[in-house]
Amino acid sequence: MMRNPAIRSWRAAEQWLLGSMALALGAAAGIWLLLGPAPTTTPYFIAITLLVASLAASVIMMGLVGRSSRQMEALLQGRASAEARAIETLRNSEAQWKEVFEHNPVMYFMVDATGTVLSVNTFGAAQLGYSVDELLGQSVLKVFPAEERQTAQSNVAVCLGNIGRTHSWEICKIRKDGSTLWVRENAKAVRLMNDQPIVLIACEDITERKQAENALRQSEMYLAEAQRLSHTGSFGWRAGSDELIWSEETFRIFGFDKAPSIKRATVIQRIHPDDRARVLRTTKRALSEWKDFEHGYRLLMPDGSVKHVHARAHAVKDTSSGIDFVGAVSDVTARKRAEVELHEAQASLAHVTRVTALGELAASIAHEVNQPLAAVVTNAAACQRWLDREPPDLKEARATVESIIRDGNRAGEVIQRVRALVNKATDQKTAIHINDVINEVISLVQHQLLSHQVMLRLELSPDLPLVLADRIQLQQVILNLVINGIEAMQPVTDRPRELVIRTCQDETQIMVTVKDCGVGLATENLERLFEAFFTTKPRGMGMGLSICRSIVGAHGGRLSASANAGPGATFQFSLPSNQEGAP
Amino acid sequence: MTGRPASPSTLATAEEPVVFVIDDDPSVREALSNLFRSVGLRAEAFGSAHEFLQCKLPNVPSCLILDIRLPRVSGLDFQAELAKADIHIPIIFMTGHGDIPMTVRAMKAGAVDFLTKPFRDQDMLDAVTAAIERDRNSRDEAKVLANLHALFATLTPRERQVMALVTAGLMNKQIAAEIGVAEITVKIHRGHIMRKMAAKSLPDLVRMAELLGIGPASGRPQT
Ligand SMILES: Nc1ncnc2c1ncn2[C@@H]1O[C@H](COP(=O)(O)OP(=O)(O)OP(=O)(O)O)[C@@H](O)[C@H]1O
Ligand SMILES: [Mg+2]
Repeated sequence: MMRNPAIRSWRAAEQWLLGSMALALGAAAGIWLLLGPAPTTTPYFIAITLLVASLAASVIMMGLVGRSSRQMEALLQGRASAEARAIETLRNSEAQWKEVFEHNPVMYFMVDATGTVLSVNTFGAAQLGYSVDELLGQSVLKVFPAEERQTAQSNVAVCLGNIGRTHSWEICKIRKDGSTLWVRENAKAVRLMNDQPIVLIACEDITERKQAENALRQSEMYLAEAQRLSHTGSFGWRAGSDELIWSEETFRIFGFDKAPSIKRATVIQRIHPDDRARVLRTTKRALSEWKDFEHGYRLLMPDGSVKHVHARAHAVKDTSSGIDFVGAVSDVTARKRAEVELHEAQASLAHVTRVTALGELAASIAHEVNQPLAAVVTNAAACQRWLDREPPDLKEARATVESIIRDGNRAGEVIQRVRALVNKATDQKTAIHINDVINEVISLVQHQLLSHQVMLRLELSPDLPLVLADRIQLQQVILNLVINGIEAMQPVTDRPRELVIRTCQDETQIMVTVKDCGVGLATENLERLFEAFFTTKPRGMGMGLSICRSIVGAHGGRLSASANAGPGATFQFSLPSNQEGAP
Repeated sequence: MTGRPASPSTLATAEEPVVFVIDDDPSVREALSNLFRSVGLRAEAFGSAHEFLQCKLPNVPSCLILDIRLPRVSGLDFQAELAKADIHIPIIFMTGHGDIPMTVRAMKAGAVDFLTKPFRDQDMLDAVTAAIERDRNSRDEAKVLANLHALFATLTPRERQVMALVTAGLMNKQIAAEIGVAEITVKIHRGHIMRKMAAKSLPDLVRMAELLGIGPASGRPQT
């Protein structure tokens, strides 16, 4: 309705024109009548008639013109509102599109064949940290980092080479502030009316996805690297098809070429024949019980070398992949070798210290052999006298011979025990009674105890379960602890020197305690006692406790020291008890 | 030296000698007992000095075979302990290797012998025989002395005085002057003394006085 005042004024001007035309006609007739030559009645009448007629005609005309102008006005008005409506609609949709174009979270660019930005939406510019004006007329390469410019250029070229075809790619862009973002671009070259080709580009920010992808790729890379470094591969086991899905490292460990999956039967062939049955037993049980499992075994490689591996697997319920177990397998060959070497070094060291300890015990051992020997000689003499009697007393003689045999054996046992300790004993774990081991050691140190005036109190719990252990090694542990105890009580003169050896048990382990009332442990030394070469003795080597700890550790136990409430120290070690009997 | 050793109950009163053995090693104890039994000697074995002291020692010639290294109390300490308790029993020490210094100490403290384990049976038996003989003698001496003491106890104070002076070699006249009595009175005292002490002669009485540790001083009246 904006035009209405204008229409109204136009109608007024029209009426005013017609009115003034009629007036002008009337005026002209009047003037002609007054000033005309010889007015006569008839012409006068005619003039008046004409005047009236012209007046009437002008009134009619005015009415007619007014009516038609009103009609036209209405017509014009109708036409104008339709036009307005169309314009309105057009304007609305254009605004909408503009709106969409400007604020759609998609970056739009329009570049010409040289790569000059012809158009860019606000969102697109803003995403790159620019205003629209800052980009218009500039080379689009401005928003690409140096290393992407080549790609960007060739992308545009590709589009121009295939006008009308949509292309898409992922590329990195750089913001005004130097930060980068990843985008996915859809582009298409079109020809403008003037036949100029331009490229339309829509791009979306995919930085987050790209980062996630990169992170994933990186973590996969790290994982692979970590697997390689740790010699640990991963695997999945599809029990149904008896297939294994392996990581690269797993393939490397087993020495097979990389493949999407591998048949378990193939893998089993690589397991060392001596370990194969055991491995199959373990996996069969794990499968039937649907339980996690863990085992170590050897691989016999095609070149004849042997690898030690350790595998752990976790039972999973993953119906989508059909995988029943996932796990990790480590190549522990190097560790095994190091362990063996360490073990050998430790064993020879232990051997040296055993021999040293025995040197200290020489007098004690001599006494231990001498006692039964004295008994044997004496009994033999007695036997002779029983036989020399008239008549010979055979009953006494026989009893005496029995004693001789017993004592002879006893001397032999002592020698054997000493020899065992002197020997480079190999690791031989058998089920043994810890109390027996203690008594064997005591028999060697008896004299040492006596000469140092040490009272030994044994509190050995009966009915202890067996332990799976190397007898000689345990003897060495107890021997070291006892000798340390005796040595610690050496300076004690104001109280009885008492050494207590106690055994006890709980559900899972047996404990051996050696308690003395000697000089005790200085708190600052508590941590260092078990270090190799730590000693406070002028002639000590400082190896005793360190060896004890490694032996106990190798038996799955723990050795610890504590200060007594009263004077002295207590050393205790535990060993897992072997309730099931044989291994 | 025939036949089996009698049962302990009869032995306790018999004059048969006893060998005591103390060794913490049962084999050695047993072997020694066996050896002694095989020669008809009665033997009693103990695992420790303490056990030995628990038993009432019979009043017969005896000896003690002791391991010089004993648990708790060493053989040497035990030897000293016995001496302190006025138990005089001949001790034969058994030693191991390298116990020389101890052996020397033991001998100085009055051990009769020592044998190194393992020892020859004959050496042991000889040592035991000698020790028992020695104990028998000292027991006899002790018996004589005890007898003398008993006799001496029957003397009056005046007679004891006179005995001391007589055995110191004084003449009757001198004694009379010394104690201020008549010479005849001294003679009478002398007769009583000889009779009461069952002395056969003056030298016999002198020996007795020596054993009893009586000197002329004890005969003098206290001033
Ligand atoms: N029962 C104890 N009481 C007090 N201190 C002890 C006791 N046992 C060990 N120690 C301390 O721990 C140190 C290390 O003991 P360890 O047995 O390892 O070596 P060592 O006895 O000194 O020498 P060796 O190698 O001859 O055994 C000792 O020197 C001592 O200071
Ligand atoms: Mg030590």
